[in-house]
This record gives sequence, C-alpha cells and structure tokens, in this order.
Amino acid sequence: MKNRLKVLRAERNWSQADLAGQLEVSRQSVNAIETGKFDPSLPLAFKLARLFGRPIEEIFADEEAASESAAQSAAANESAS
Amino acid sequence: MGILYCNPKSVVERRYVHRMWIAAGLCILSSLTAALTLRFTHWKGLPAYPVAVLPALPIMWALYETGRYLNDEKDEFLRNVLVQCMLGGIGGCLAVTTVWGYLQDFAGARPLDPIWVYGIFWLCAVLSYPVVKARYK
Repeated sequence: MKNRLKVLRAERNWSQADLAGQLEVSRQSVNAIETGKFDPSLPLAFKLARLFGRPIEEIFADEEAASESAAQSAAANESAS
Repeated sequence: MGILYCNPKSVVERRYVHRMWIAAGLCILSSLTAALTLRFTHWKGLPAYPVAVLPALPIMWALYETGRYLNDEKDEFLRNVLVQCMLGGIGGCLAVTTVWGYLQDFAGARPLDPIWVYGIFWLCAVLSYPVVKARYK
C-alpha cells in the first residue's frame, strides 16, 4: 500500500529510528511500511494517524479506490467525446 | 529467526533469545545424559522411557517459547517475519520428509530417523529467513 510516511517524517526531520521509537516498533517495521512492502494493522495505522495528526486516508492511499475513480473518469471522458 | 543472531532490542526479544539458547543447551545436555545413562544401565522398554524422552522436553519448551514470543511481541512486522520463517520451516520439512518417504518406499533409501525432523524444521526455518527479509528490502 502506498503511503506518505516518508514525506510526513521528513517534514518533521524524524529519522526512521525516531519514528520507530515513538511507535514502539522496530526500525525495520517503519522501513517496510514506508516502502509499501508491509501493510500495518488498523491499530498501528491509527497510531500513525494520531502521531502525525492526520486522518488515515491522508497517510495511506486506497489504491483500489483510486484506480476505480480513474477508470470511471476515463469512461466519462470517453462517453462525453 | 534473525533475532537469534542479530542484536535483540525489546525485552520480549531478549527473553526469547535467552530462553532459546537455554533450551538448546538443555537439549544437548539431556541428549548426552540420556545416551550415556541408557548405554551404561542397559535399561529397555518402559523403565527407559522417562530417560529416553528427556531430550524432547527442551524441544517442546522451545516450541512453547516460540509461541509465547509470537503472542507477546508487540511489533507486528517482526511477528510476521517469524511466522513466515516458520511456515518456510514447516513447508521445507514436509517437502524433505515427503521426498525421503518416496525414496525410501520406491528406491530403497535408508529410513529417515524421526529424530531429525525437528532439526530439519529449524534448518528450513533459518534458511527461509534471508528469503523473507529480501522481500522487505
């Protein structure tokens, strides 16, 4: 799952280790989540949202919904033309 | 898996690593004790059972501790890595014993002593670790 964790972390000048410390997880966990190779559980996602003061959907991208809306707008454009 | 040879950080990790090393030590010690006792006493059958089963106790303890670690570890990513390694261990162990079974039945290979199954399981689990880690790099 794509996410804005790296950007949000950089805005606060936090290292992966800093974020891991605040989340009480390992640095490897933060790295795996950041690179989109590991999806966090809902409690951890909420913890991240609380930490960054943003709603979950602003941190994590719903790729399925994004591709669906892109397909819908492409279909709408096609029918309009 | 990696925590067995990397530097454990959390209290849960440290406890797990510590107890796994104790279990390994006890397994070696109890194996030697059982082997020497049965060799010199020549006990057979029922009286030998309690001594013969001695090395299995630390092995069962190690399995229990692994389950306890998975239950107590708060870091879901580390839990996930260990679970995948153990699945690799189970898969590898089943594969090796199945292949060996067919070799034994159809090609006359020597029977595989069940005592090796636990070792094969952990060997496959440890070998799965770099593969699992590579997925998250």
